[in-house]
Amino acid sequence: MLFTLVATLSLLLPQTQQSAARTIAIDETLAAQAKLKVGDRVTLLARPAAEDFAVMTATPSGYNPGVAPAETVIVAAIMRRSADPSQIARADLLVRMHLDQLQQISGYGDRVDRFAVATRPGANVGRLLDDINGVAFGFRAYRSRDIAVETSRTFQVVSRFHRAIGVITIVASSVFLLCIMVLKVEERRRDIAALRLMGISRSSVVKTIIVEAALVSILGSVLGVGLGWAASLLVNWYYQGIYRTPLQFSIVTPSIVAASVALSLLLGALAGVLASVRLARTPPLVLLGR
Amino acid sequence: MLAVLGVAIAAAMLLDMVMLATGMRESFRQLLLSRGFDIRLAPKGTLPFDTDATIPSVGAITTVLRSNPDIREISPVLGSSIHISVGARDVSASVLGIDPSVQGDYELVSGQDALTPESMVANDSLIRRLGARLGDTLTVATGYDPQTRSYSGQRQLVLTGRVRFIYGATEQSSAAVRRETLEEMSGDQQRDRASLFMIRVRQGADPDRVREWIESYIPTVSAISVATAIAQVDQRLSYFRQLALILGSVSLLVGFLLVTTLVTVSVNERSGEIAVMRAIGVSRNHVVQQIVAEGVAISIIGALIGLGLGLATAKYLNGILSTFPGLPMAIDFFLFQPVAAWSALGLLTASGIAAGIYPAWRAASLPISETLRREAIA
Repeated sequence: MLFTLVATLSLLLPQTQQSAARTIAIDETLAAQAKLKVGDRVTLLARPAAEDFAVMTATPSGYNPGVAPAETVIVAAIMRRSADPSQIARADLLVRMHLDQLQQISGYGDRVDRFAVATRPGANVGRLLDDINGVAFGFRAYRSRDIAVETSRTFQVVSRFHRAIGVITIVASSVFLLCIMVLKVEERRRDIAALRLMGISRSSVVKTIIVEAALVSILGSVLGVGLGWAASLLVNWYYQGIYRTPLQFSIVTPSIVAASVALSLLLGALAGVLASVRLARTPPLVLLGR
Repeated sequence: MLAVLGVAIAAAMLLDMVMLATGMRESFRQLLLSRGFDIRLAPKGTLPFDTDATIPSVGAITTVLRSNPDIREISPVLGSSIHISVGARDVSASVLGIDPSVQGDYELVSGQDALTPESMVANDSLIRRLGARLGDTLTVATGYDPQTRSYSGQRQLVLTGRVRFIYGATEQSSAAVRRETLEEMSGDQQRDRASLFMIRVRQGADPDRVREWIESYIPTVSAISVATAIAQVDQRLSYFRQLALILGSVSLLVGFLLVTTLVTVSVNERSGEIAVMRAIGVSRNHVVQQIVAEGVAISIIGALIGLGLGLATAKYLNGILSTFPGLPMAIDFFLFQPVAAWSALGLLTASGIAAGIYPAWRAASLPISETLRREAIA
């Protein structure tokens, strides 16, 4: 069972006081920004030190030194953040400390923000929730996944936006592919006329063009997949650096590759059919401009 | 026709991406300036209402601010939450403690502003949830202890006005009371504190100089001018600008390739005609101009068709992004500005000119006699 209390703290640096200090862990962004390393001593306060100064400056007679005592601690570990999407757009700096220590510094008393409960494998979570909610007084139990759904609304919106952009891009790419393929087949009108004049049947001409268009589509797809994979690596490298997170922003999966190749093949074949049927129906001499 | 449709779709995408890249910032700027406040003061290191932190010593800070002749108006705002008992139900909402004479957070839609300590104004969402009418007396509390199920800071307030919160999210239920009323209800914890100060500067004064002055005199606050707020929002939403840049570039490239292919095919088909034109004395320059003009014409026709298509897709995409939790209703990610349409048209025209250059060069460098002989044999 985990007890979690989240509070905003301020750090005062550096400290030279030598005593039996407790330890904290800080995230690597904070370590980099405050130039801290393992073993350094820092003082934690529950509110900005500048506030006292301001209160003194603005209202000398009303100065209240506050209730929360400062505490000097040792940086025992520097941690890397987990891949949490809800944190990427925020510039929060994280400190992990012992629960009682935070309760004392923040003046929060014997309170926590939430309990995290791990269940045994095979436990009936629904019944457990009902039991807790039946006896609990003053709080409510939720499934982790329900909370995840509720707290990930921002990402659901982004996800819907991505899907919409994806659909628009696919439509635009489809029209582009169709245009290019139709124009390329149109360019071959004289070759087609020659083939027809040599006595090759319409269906053979149509099949040849469709096969050729499909081959061009597959070749284009292979190049496109390579380009997409390289772009994906670039996107991940860039955004992981920007947001200092191990999150994967772009993932190329086999299903995405398969869908892209299939769509490209379909469009290529369709363009081949559209262009070749029209050209095959046109008399060869007209195709030659006679 | 298919090719023009392709250019139109590329143009629509380009317009959308130009709108996305510029609209968000402009929309946010318009929102910040909508009530004429140039500077916001938030607790040190935070953005307005980004955390529960508050600024102490409102009276003393106001005195310091008034000493600067460039500051024209100061509006301290205290944010909190309230619980309103409606029968057996408890309706919670966010509340702002304001001074109605200088507030810049809402517009009065109907009724009266919160002119007395016992009055309260609320938005449609809260009024709907309460099932209340203007003139109703409500039991409002600022604290609720779930363990004892008891309220604290309770007070009877009269709902006097219906308002629209300018910075409020679509689904947010909000109310506003006088700041001293909210302070009294919240007890010592919030006494003489504010979540935010909104400041109007004197006409002609430089808001950034005033901002620097405030930060040097009042270390408990982060002073945020419209420019710094936009920079911070830019940083948080940089993803959308980068996406707009990438997709806009791809759209432009697609349009360019389409026009190039189209004009090249057209030139190949008309190589005989072009050779005849050259043979009867039409200059190279004239041929080049004609072919480049063809590329530009295709781009402009595509762009005109794409304008309507782009506006429709922008409306659809904006509808999706406007459901962002906590996003103010007035923020548009895709904001149509004539400059966006002109930029997209300008980029497409430039790409049309560039697209015509290669086929024009090919046409201008056709060997006349050889082309005519080949055409004659064919």
